[in-house]
Amino acid sequence: MKPAAFEYFRPASTEEALGLLAAMPGAKPLAGGQSLIPAMNFRLAAPEVLVDLNGIPALAGITMLPDGGIRLGAMTRQHDIETSPLVAAHAPLLAEAMPFIAHPQIRNRGTVGGSLAHADPAAELPAVMLALGATLVLTSAAGERRLPAGEFFTGLFATALDPSELLTAIEIPAPAPRSGSAFLEQARRHGDYALVGVAATVTVAESGACDLARVALFSVGEGPVLSGRVAVALEGLRPDAGVIRAAAEAVQGDIDPPSDIHASAAYRRQLARVLAGRALERAFERTRPRQSTSETR
Amino acid sequence: MIVEGTYTFPGPREVVWHLLLDPEVLAKTLPGATSMVRVSEDRYEGKMGVGIGPITAAEFDVVITMTDKVVPESYRMQIEGRGRFGFTRGSAAVRLTAEGSATTMHYQADMMVGGKIAAVGQRLLDSVSRMMLKQGLESMSAELDRRLGKDPV
Repeated sequence: MKPAAFEYFRPASTEEALGLLAAMPGAKPLAGGQSLIPAMNFRLAAPEVLVDLNGIPALAGITMLPDGGIRLGAMTRQHDIETSPLVAAHAPLLAEAMPFIAHPQIRNRGTVGGSLAHADPAAELPAVMLALGATLVLTSAAGERRLPAGEFFTGLFATALDPSELLTAIEIPAPAPRSGSAFLEQARRHGDYALVGVAATVTVAESGACDLARVALFSVGEGPVLSGRVAVALEGLRPDAGVIRAAAEAVQGDIDPPSDIHASAAYRRQLARVLAGRALERAFERTRPRQSTSETR
Repeated sequence: MIVEGTYTFPGPREVVWHLLLDPEVLAKTLPGATSMVRVSEDRYEGKMGVGIGPITAAEFDVVITMTDKVVPESYRMQIEGRGRFGFTRGSAAVRLTAEGSATTMHYQADMMVGGKIAAVGQRLLDSVSRMMLKQGLESMSAELDRRLGKDPV
């Protein structure tokens, strides 16, 4: 299958790319092309102009931030995130989620920014960024604005990005002391779209009580969902089995999942409860000092 | 695929009834509708484009046939859509009940989607139809407010 005819630009700098986007309404940025190009080949999408970001080296790369967080250039390949020691050390949730994204061939080309800007409701990365409390950097010819991940995703394949803006970087804050995280998803086969997935980060106080719980679910609606009820059910309490079970049940109040040929809404709701419970258990276990953590998990 | 639910319009039943059957209102409020013409008392023809994220090219020719009309209480719709990227076919039952000065609409639709759009977008059909329904009902409600002389929301 071949796409409809389009004009193609390959700028060498972010400024040049932003100039092209501003000058040509209807121009579509091309990142890794793992969703856009198939849609074009099916002729389900027919942008008249593509602005290819693959010739802009400044948009890719993983760097440490002064406060201990990390910064991902939007064009960083998913494979490079998966294999980055910086990511493994400072954003273990992100490292844990990467192998669940499609297949290695796709991660070789696919980028972190492309996945976030595409905002597929079944995508892993949007939920991971919600759970991590990441900040997204949006750049236009007029300047830069920074949005919390929670304000970036606005619906089904919809984001706060203006057509003249590019998502240029993602900043992930340093993990707090006594924090832990876990990522889980269920799919029919590895690499398929998730039926339901969960990304969780938790922080406990010195007393052992839960300080902060961020549980983000995906493939349960129009976009990633950060569960407010889980936070209410956990924060201030000691996370014993009963409290975790109640928190996992509370997740169901925050979602209204769709039905399709792969799974009914009721099944997704049940799966969300089970996966949220398991993810929370794991995340709390990982808040304990390293040596006592079981490495078999 | 079955889509069902209720929606409350802030206006009297007779006004809501006429609103729902007005082709101009349908053209204005149905998401992606570019035209809607009442070709006979009970038959509407129009064009609708479905634009979700990267999918921008799916335009459908739509024919809606109204049956079993009980003014101003209930009607059924046969819906048929045909486009380069697939087809949709189905029926919907609509019932209006007066709740004081408001009107509650009860709807149940059984829709089938086929062709390329279903093959590629199967997992999204439920979310997309829910989103379009929500958009449509909300803009009809805004249109109702406008007709009743309330400030647009």
